[in-house]
Amino acid sequence: MLPALALYLYVVLVPSFRGAGYAFTDWSGLGERMSFVGLENFARIFDDSAAQDALWQTVAITAVITIVQNVVGLLLALGVHSRIRSRNALRVLFFAPAVMTPVVTAYLWRYLYAPEGALNTALDALGLGALRQNWLGDPGLALWSVAAIVIWQFSGYSMVIFLAGLQSVPRELHEAAGVDGAGAVQRFWHITRPLLASAVTINVMLALIGGFKLFDQVYVTTGGGPGHATETLSTLIYKNAFQFGDFAYSTAIAVLLAVVVAAVSAVQYRGLRQQKGSS
Amino acid sequence: MTNRRLPAALCVLATGALLAACSNTATPPGGGTASAALRIASNSSEKIALDAAIAAFKRANPGIDVQVTYADTDPYLTTLRTQLSSGTAPDVFFAFPAKGNAGAVQVLAPSGYLQDLSARPWAGQVPQDVKTVTQAGGKQYLLPVTFTGIGAIYNKKAMREVGGSEPTTWKDVLDLCDKARTAGRTAFALGNQTPWVTQLIDYALVSTLVYTPGSTFDADLAGGRTSFAASTGWKGAMDKYLELSKRGCFSKDPLGTPVETALQQVGKGEAVAAVQVLATAGQIRDAAAQGTELGMFPLPATDDAQATRMPGAVGTSYAINAKARDRAAAEKFIDFLAQPQIMNDYAAKSNAAPAIPNDAFAPDPAFAALLEYQKSGRTVPFMDQFWPNPKVQQAHLSGVQELFSGAATPQDVLTEMDKAYKSN
Repeated sequence: MLPALALYLYVVLVPSFRGAGYAFTDWSGLGERMSFVGLENFARIFDDSAAQDALWQTVAITAVITIVQNVVGLLLALGVHSRIRSRNALRVLFFAPAVMTPVVTAYLWRYLYAPEGALNTALDALGLGALRQNWLGDPGLALWSVAAIVIWQFSGYSMVIFLAGLQSVPRELHEAAGVDGAGAVQRFWHITRPLLASAVTINVMLALIGGFKLFDQVYVTTGGGPGHATETLSTLIYKNAFQFGDFAYSTAIAVLLAVVVAAVSAVQYRGLRQQKGSS
Repeated sequence: MTNRRLPAALCVLATGALLAACSNTATPPGGGTASAALRIASNSSEKIALDAAIAAFKRANPGIDVQVTYADTDPYLTTLRTQLSSGTAPDVFFAFPAKGNAGAVQVLAPSGYLQDLSARPWAGQVPQDVKTVTQAGGKQYLLPVTFTGIGAIYNKKAMREVGGSEPTTWKDVLDLCDKARTAGRTAFALGNQTPWVTQLIDYALVSTLVYTPGSTFDADLAGGRTSFAASTGWKGAMDKYLELSKRGCFSKDPLGTPVETALQQVGKGEAVAAVQVLATAGQIRDAAAQGTELGMFPLPATDDAQATRMPGAVGTSYAINAKARDRAAAEKFIDFLAQPQIMNDYAAKSNAAPAIPNDAFAPDPAFAALLEYQKSGRTVPFMDQFWPNPKVQQAHLSGVQELFSGAATPQDVLTEMDKAYKSN
């Protein structure tokens, strides 16, 4: 335990806190020159329209991912929890994308989304050519196209957690409710849903954290473009650090992001625990 | 690595790992360990030419093992800056001229990351105009290898099939668009999903519209006497860029098209041409059928053929890490690259000219226009080379994407570039 804790301290905690210290300097990311500038970098965030746009886009995509991924995950879990014969094969199939590297799936989807890519070609073949889209090139659509990649990849992951929750629900409760005349929807709402609170808590928190930190899929598919239409806080942090030579400002945004993620996670964790306690 | 550098290095470790996964590492057969080898890093566009140069170097120096890593521009810059700040950068690496880019010599040298090459035997032969963009503080930090240009690289068969010819005026360009469209082809493949590609047509047009003979635009901009937003030439270039788009000159949905796809379109003849850095001709050839002939023409911006100028500047340059593990091998490699025959071979494989001219160079006739323009003084340095920081280029890149999506006007983009210029 102690060696692991020491390693964790040295590799994660110490660099994190020392790294955060750059947010209070003017370090460019190169060279020795560095001066203490206090809260100047944090103040800059509130005057930076690019940072504010990135914040709102991050919040929007996180909200969509969290809601849709969990709804889809729950539906998949309910589906593969049934007694259909192919349930094991379906479980593997739905979970498979989650074990792939996000960068790989993003490259894959970049080609699927191309103007003459598989998605538009498939729409044509199905007689749905009118639905063809410039999936990653249309600024009004690109953010949601990226969200769809994340949802496609991680709904299976949410499914597995929901499935574990479903399997912990005592079968006798359902049977007793059935004897009392409760329908499937009533049984789900009054028995399954409260007992899934832990799974919901974990899934929502993971999706929230993943959404706020979203980088790989955006960077590979759009690089934050077109223009700034898919810029998230993570891509903005990357650009400031490595392309603009503004490492200190980049670190300030990263610190802010960490605080936001921690706060949102704490609030929803507390809320869901209360819900679980009252049910 | 100093204690202060350690946290930064760890903070970016994940990014580094990701980028390493995207890169292409070629370890020579029988190569030794990383610590025993001369480590070289370069841009993916250099692979054909640098691989050949390394093979020649190893034949001449069988005792030196070489490891080379390639990455595309964006991940390359990220990795390089991370490695430099953490003290793990390769011994020899590709670096950009001037200062408008995050990996440019005048950005990296002041921080002490580059070895002074002023005493190398070839340093005195570097032409004066090349010195200005490969030096910092009066010291030579880069070996300039190629002189390259931005022009329209075209598929000769596709040009014939649409009934077109090399345009010499703006009207000819628009006519070519019409002919290509009538023939069911695209005149110019455009991969504006890839940010760095977005700037190329502007650069090609601005070289004629802004940098007329005797132009003092860069000096006036630096002196605060003019601005991008006040420049009729810059606005004219962006207007023409949009005019090309409205005329149907570009491939479908350029904002959803990555550069690789655009280059393949030219190679396969689906598009007649692409306005590109000449080094990408190799990638177009890779996508083309055996025997496909390529050509190049400067992109006209006016109806006066004699007024046309083309962007031409130092392309490939290499630097030595100030903390190189094997300094002697690194210097040997740099000096090897500087030999006229090696530099000529490198330039030929890059469809460029040697940055240190010599009489033995025989240019590929398909790309001879670059040398003709260079000799007649009708080339203009790449615009970003004289911008004071990388933010101007980024404002331009994302601005062009916004132009194409209708989210901004040319005036909006130019105003943002002015803000970035003054943010130094």
